[in-house]
Amino acid sequence: MINFEEELKKFHPSLEVEDAEEAIYNQDLTDMADLLVKMIQEYEEKQGN
Amino acid sequence: MFCYHCGAQLSEQHDFCTACGADVSLYKKIMYVANRFYNDGLEKATVRDLTGAITSLRQCLKFNKNHVEARNLLGLVYFETGEVVAAMSEWVISKNLRPEKNIADDYIGLLQSNASRLDALNQTIKKYNQAYAYCVQESKDLAVIQLKKVLSLNPKFIRAHQLLALLYMDSEQWERAQRELTKCAAIDRNNTMTLRYLKEVEMMLLPDENVKQPLKRKKEEAVRYQSDNEIIIQPMNVKEPKSGNAATLLNVGIGLVIGLAACYFLVVPAKVGEVRAEAQQTITEIANQSDAKTSRIQELEASMKKLQEENDNLNSELEGYVGDDGTLKTIDELLSAGTIYLQTQNAEEAATHLENIAASVNVDETSEAFQNLYQTLLAAIGPELATTYYDGGLAVYRNEDFTAAIEQLGKAVYYDPTNAEALYYLGQAYRRSGDKENAAVIYEKVIDLFPGTQNAANAQRYLEEMGQ
Repeated sequence: MINFEEELKKFHPSLEVEDAEEAIYNQDLTDMADLLVKMIQEYEEKQGN
Repeated sequence: MFCYHCGAQLSEQHDFCTACGADVSLYKKIMYVANRFYNDGLEKATVRDLTGAITSLRQCLKFNKNHVEARNLLGLVYFETGEVVAAMSEWVISKNLRPEKNIADDYIGLLQSNASRLDALNQTIKKYNQAYAYCVQESKDLAVIQLKKVLSLNPKFIRAHQLLALLYMDSEQWERAQRELTKCAAIDRNNTMTLRYLKEVEMMLLPDENVKQPLKRKKEEAVRYQSDNEIIIQPMNVKEPKSGNAATLLNVGIGLVIGLAACYFLVVPAKVGEVRAEAQQTITEIANQSDAKTSRIQELEASMKKLQEENDNLNSELEGYVGDDGTLKTIDELLSAGTIYLQTQNAEEAATHLENIAASVNVDETSEAFQNLYQTLLAAIGPELATTYYDGGLAVYRNEDFTAAIEQLGKAVYYDPTNAEALYYLGQAYRRSGDKENAAVIYEKVIDLFPGTQNAANAQRYLEEMGQ
C-alpha cells in the first residue's frame, strides 16, 4: 500500500531557470579519467621519492 | 581519443602514447566503458526508456566527463521529461567543452530565441513548486488544481504527472490516477516510480475480494459513471418517501399558506407603498394648484382694493363737481353768477358765486369755454368789486379792525391787482395786526410791482424797520 507521506518525501522542488547558473557551477565534474590521472601522478611521485 | 598526459592523438593498436610514451591502457578501457554506457543510453532513449537512458548517460559521464554527445543526449532526455533547468545545465556544460560545431548550441539557441516559451516553462516550474508546497501543507485540493495548470502548460512534465497521480491515489480516485500514470508511461516507459504506482492502482482496480470490498459496498450504494472528465455518482438506496392522500393535501395546504403569506408580506406592502406614493403625488399636485389659486386670489383682492380706492377718490372728486340735483356744481355756480350779473347787475352776489367756484376747483384746469366765461364775468365785475372792497377795507383799517381790513383789502387786491393803494394798505394791516411775515411779503410785492412810488418807499422803510 502506498503511503502518501513517505512517497511525498521522494519528490522535491524543481530547479527554476534563475537557479541554473548556480547548479552548473556546483556540479561535480570529476570523472574516472581524472581519478586515474591523479592516481598515476601520485604513483609517479612515490616512485620518484 | 587523446592522451591524458600530452593531448596527442592515440593509436588503436598501442597501449601507450606514441608521442609521450605514457601508459594509456587503463585510460583506454575507461573511455571504452564510457562509450558503452553512451551506446546503452542512446538505445534506451530510442525506445523511450528515458529513466534507463538517464542512468546510462550519467554513468557514461562519470567515466568521461568530456563526452559531449552523451551530455547533449542527457540534456535532450531531461528536456523530454520536463526538467528544463537540468537540460539547460547539460547543454551549457557541453557548449563550454566544445564551443564549435556543437548541437547543444542549437538547443540553447532555440530556447533563448523564444523568450515567451522560456518564460512559460519557468512559470510551469514555479507552479509545480507551489503545488509541491501545497502538498506539504496538506492543501491537496489546491495542489491538484495547480498541477492541472502545470500539465496544461507542459504535458510532458513527468514529475507533475506522478505527483498528481499520487494525490488521486491518496483520495482513492484510482481511475484518474491510472490515467495520469498511463500518460507518464507513454512519455517514459520504464520509470520505476510510475511502474510502482501503476501496479498499486491496478491492484486496487482488480476484482480482488480483500481489496475490492469497500468498492463493492460503494457500488451497491451508488451507480458511478463518467461524463467527460467528471465522475457522476448516483445514489441507489435513496427512495422517495411514500405518503397518503392526506399528507399530499396537507402539503398542498401548507404550500398555499406559505404562498399566501409570501404574497401578504411581499406583494401587498409593495402595492400599498405604490398606492400611497400615487396618493402623495396627487396631494402634492392639488396643493400646488391651491397655492397658485390662493396667490391669484390675493392678487385679485389687492387689485380690487386698489380699484375701490380709486373709485372712492373719483366719487369724492365727482361729488365736488356735482350738485344736489345731479348737475355739475361749478357750472351751476358759473351760470348763476352770469345770470345774476346780467339780470340784476349785483356784482357782490355774482362775486359770491365766482368765489365759490375758485374755492372748489382750479379754474386753470377747467375747459376753455368755462375759463372764458369765468374770466369775462370776473373782468366785468372785478373793478367794481375791487373799489367796493377797497373802500370797505380802508374804512375798517382806519377803525383799527385789522382782521376785517385784511379780508376786505385782500379781496380788493384779488379783483384789481393794479390797485397799489389796496396792496400797500393790506401790508399795513398785516404789520399792525402783528403778522410781520405776511406784511413783509406784501411790502416786497409793492416794491416789485410799483417801484419809484411813495408806497414803495414807505414799504421799503417799514421793511427796514422790521429788520428784513
